[in-house]
Amino acid sequence: MSKNKDILVIGAGLAGIEVSLLLANAGRKVYLVERESYFGGNAIKSEEITPNMECATCMLAPKQADLLENKNIELMTLSEVKGISGDVGDFKIEVSKCARYVSSTNCIGCGACFEPCPVSVDNEFEEKLSKRKAIYIACAGALPNVPVIDMDHCLRAKGEDCNICKEACMFDAIVYDDKNETIEINVGAIVVATGYTLADTSHLDKYGYGKFKNVFNAFEFERLRASNGPTSGVIQTRDHKQPKSIGLIHCVGRDESGYCSQVCCMYLTKFAHYIFDRLPEAKAYQFFREFSIPGKGNQKFSNEVREKGVELIRTKNLKISENSDGQGLKIEYENESVNESIDVDMVVLAPYIKPHPSTTKLAKLLGLELDDFGFIKTGAFDSVSAMRPGVFVIGCAEGPKFMKNVIIQAQVAAANTLRLTED
Amino acid sequence: MAKIGLYLCECGPNIAQAIDLDEITEAIKKDNKVAGIERHKLLCSDDGKKFLAESIKRNAFERVVIAACSPKQHEGTFMEVMLEAGLNAYMFQLVNIREQCAWVTPDKNAATLKALTVIRAAINRVKHHAALEKKEIECNPNVIVIGNGIAAIEAALKTAHNDRKVFLIVEGKRIGDTYKNRRLLLSSMQSAEEFLRSKVDELKSNKQIEVFENSKINEILGFFGNFIANIDTEKNKNVELAAGSVIFALEAESFVPKALTNLGYGKFDKVYTAAEFETIDVDETEPKSVAIIHCVGRKKLGYCSKFCCMNSMKIARYIKERSHESKVVQFYRNLCLPDKQYDKFYKDTKEKGVEFVRFQDIEVAGEESRLAIKYKEENGKESKLLVDIVILSTGLVPASKTEEFSQMFNIPLDEYGFMKEEHNILNPVATITEGVFIIGGVRGPGDIDDSLEQAGAAAGKILSSLVPGRLQPLETKISRVSEVICIGCGVCVNVCAYGAVKLDESKHISVVNEVLCRGCGNCASACPSGAAQHRHFTTKQINQEMIEILK
Repeated sequence: MSKNKDILVIGAGLAGIEVSLLLANAGRKVYLVERESYFGGNAIKSEEITPNMECATCMLAPKQADLLENKNIELMTLSEVKGISGDVGDFKIEVSKCARYVSSTNCIGCGACFEPCPVSVDNEFEEKLSKRKAIYIACAGALPNVPVIDMDHCLRAKGEDCNICKEACMFDAIVYDDKNETIEINVGAIVVATGYTLADTSHLDKYGYGKFKNVFNAFEFERLRASNGPTSGVIQTRDHKQPKSIGLIHCVGRDESGYCSQVCCMYLTKFAHYIFDRLPEAKAYQFFREFSIPGKGNQKFSNEVREKGVELIRTKNLKISENSDGQGLKIEYENESVNESIDVDMVVLAPYIKPHPSTTKLAKLLGLELDDFGFIKTGAFDSVSAMRPGVFVIGCAEGPKFMKNVIIQAQVAAANTLRLTED
Repeated sequence: MAKIGLYLCECGPNIAQAIDLDEITEAIKKDNKVAGIERHKLLCSDDGKKFLAESIKRNAFERVVIAACSPKQHEGTFMEVMLEAGLNAYMFQLVNIREQCAWVTPDKNAATLKALTVIRAAINRVKHHAALEKKEIECNPNVIVIGNGIAAIEAALKTAHNDRKVFLIVEGKRIGDTYKNRRLLLSSMQSAEEFLRSKVDELKSNKQIEVFENSKINEILGFFGNFIANIDTEKNKNVELAAGSVIFALEAESFVPKALTNLGYGKFDKVYTAAEFETIDVDETEPKSVAIIHCVGRKKLGYCSKFCCMNSMKIARYIKERSHESKVVQFYRNLCLPDKQYDKFYKDTKEKGVEFVRFQDIEVAGEESRLAIKYKEENGKESKLLVDIVILSTGLVPASKTEEFSQMFNIPLDEYGFMKEEHNILNPVATITEGVFIIGGVRGPGDIDDSLEQAGAAAGKILSSLVPGRLQPLETKISRVSEVICIGCGVCVNVCAYGAVKLDESKHISVVNEVLCRGCGNCASACPSGAAQHRHFTTKQINQEMIEILK
């Protein structure tokens, strides 16, 4: 029986983009399924990437443009895999595609539609640090540059006869009666690249996340610094004040997760760099356990930030509390068996990295085994082969890792997929 | 005079409302430099593209200027329409009057003037455009792999296939030599020898892989898709091997801590590096107490070698397994355990009775027949521990031949002496020389998982780009050097980041390799005599464009 040469890639973050481009370049047809209305994953949320501090969106945009232009790749946004049957070489996949309510063919991405929309809700992409409309794009520069209507919040869904966005559109791109679709595709192999999420550590009382307003998690801080973010890159507290001192907390929840999330030492060092770059007068403290910065280039970057004055405090025990006036935060910690404390205006946590909920759901659907931590299990000395023939897993769905290693795994999966489906 | 057609895109209200397109039409008509002006509501729409192709044909325009949006968005779209209209895709210039005029200049008069200026500049430029042809070359799908460790073996296994041969060149050694000296693999605690043997068996049974042990590389010439290596093998001299890509997979070497006299290396017999300890007979040594010192050489090297914390624990467990009574103490600064499985490995190691002490300063001295570890903890407390042997967990340094091989392909080295990646994040196993890949110890420190993954990554890059039987398209907008004007100064050779410009010694002029050139224009801007020209950014094209703008 001849093998199907088409490939399904699930998740269009850094990993999914890389593997899709490689497979398409080899002449393969790629179905790239993405649950969000935009693609690029978590990587496009960052302002800069260590150790060379290159702009993240500038790094990804050319690859995204290549992907959008590539005729071998069919990018399906707002889509999820709902069913699978068959076997390696001949999988039948059912993809459910949600309505966008905006025609990708007609829309030119001018943005005239979302300005007049009367609805205002929290923007999830911006970690709820800003508002968006019911018709919106996730952030400036998000691709594809076509808005989506959030029908949970659109006034029409509530029975109102609002058609402001349709009136504002000069290109007849708004399609209120757009329908959800179920699409069936046949492929020979599957690459899972569904990524990660930061753990919600609000149940860990000592950090006060979710309880004290100026305790932020890493993504929230990253968006505060993002030039296309809610504050246009101004680092500020939730009271819109410029913080004079910021505590950066490593290894948040590591005891609970049971593993090192790899990237946090470097990105917290990057945050210290952001702070000195944007707020030269501010103080920054890194509260760490073990300083783990493997690989060439990282030590040099860390040394540079240290020279700028970040204070490194080794501690295993710390507790964060809010001062009685509700303004500042106090970090109490044990350092070499001595109890000390520091007052800061803002705290940024580095919660452990865990598989994205959709990774877990998808693993169940595809019949993939999980490891002790909930990531998708792979073979020994074969970090990309899932425990089902014909299915590969790359990026942070397999475990926490640096962007460089995400790219490497995507390239490995390209090799494995091509070999598997070759005649 | 070539017939130039100008098209103005309204982009719905985006351009039409912000710029007075009537005024522009009038002004350009007065200039009398174009054969026709057309206007459309949305040129990038299916309707617009059809209109554009038909209009170009009907008017028999020979060159086209389109005033619309950013080339990033629709240059490709309109180049396709050019082809459809029967013109060369490069006889066209896109002017960005949306992002660079309409959207950023609120004053309509100012926006209109700005748009008019850049349109005039484009008309002046397009007159000097030349038709550029797409070229394709035949490529050899075979792969040359250089190295002898696990990365090299894995790279060969992952790339070899029915229609792709692999030549694995092992310089001056037998395949897998260095692994014979390792007892266990990291974290899995699997026998290194067994693992290696299974891989070598696989290698030797693969008919598409030819292994040249004890060989010497004389030179490798050529470029992406067409490399030729000249090697001396055990049996023959000057054997020629042709391949489309080359993978450097040399293993990193262990840092030799000779200069670190405070650690007693070279002074006391029982002070070993971790690599040396792998080769000695532990049963004969019967150590009752062992100190393993981490991060040896890190300060000097300037980076964390990643594998050493785990490797130190692996050795500790090996000793403990042989003699549970022995005391093994790890002296470390920061534990680097960057994998989801490693925290557990560390916990298990501790449970097996291995002790961990964090130090600030450390020194090894002789005391009677034993070794004294004098150390200071982070809280300043000073202590001493007597042990039988000391193992120095040293970092990794580039393989000794790294520099020599890097020169063969003009691959720059980083400040640590490793070969530089094309991009440290986005293209981590490729180099600036297309078709030449770096994996394992030539590109940086790492562990066995890194070596295996990088080998697979290089395979992914090769399998997806050098498809057997397929022609490789080349970059169209590249540079060329005029034989007549070139004085052979070689400035362009030095500024080319891709090794695409070479000095032809016999003619004493520079020559651009059309396969390697990526059209960055570095040579053209550096050339003092004007001999090097970028084919789509010639001095004339740029000057004519600028003259209009500066008028």
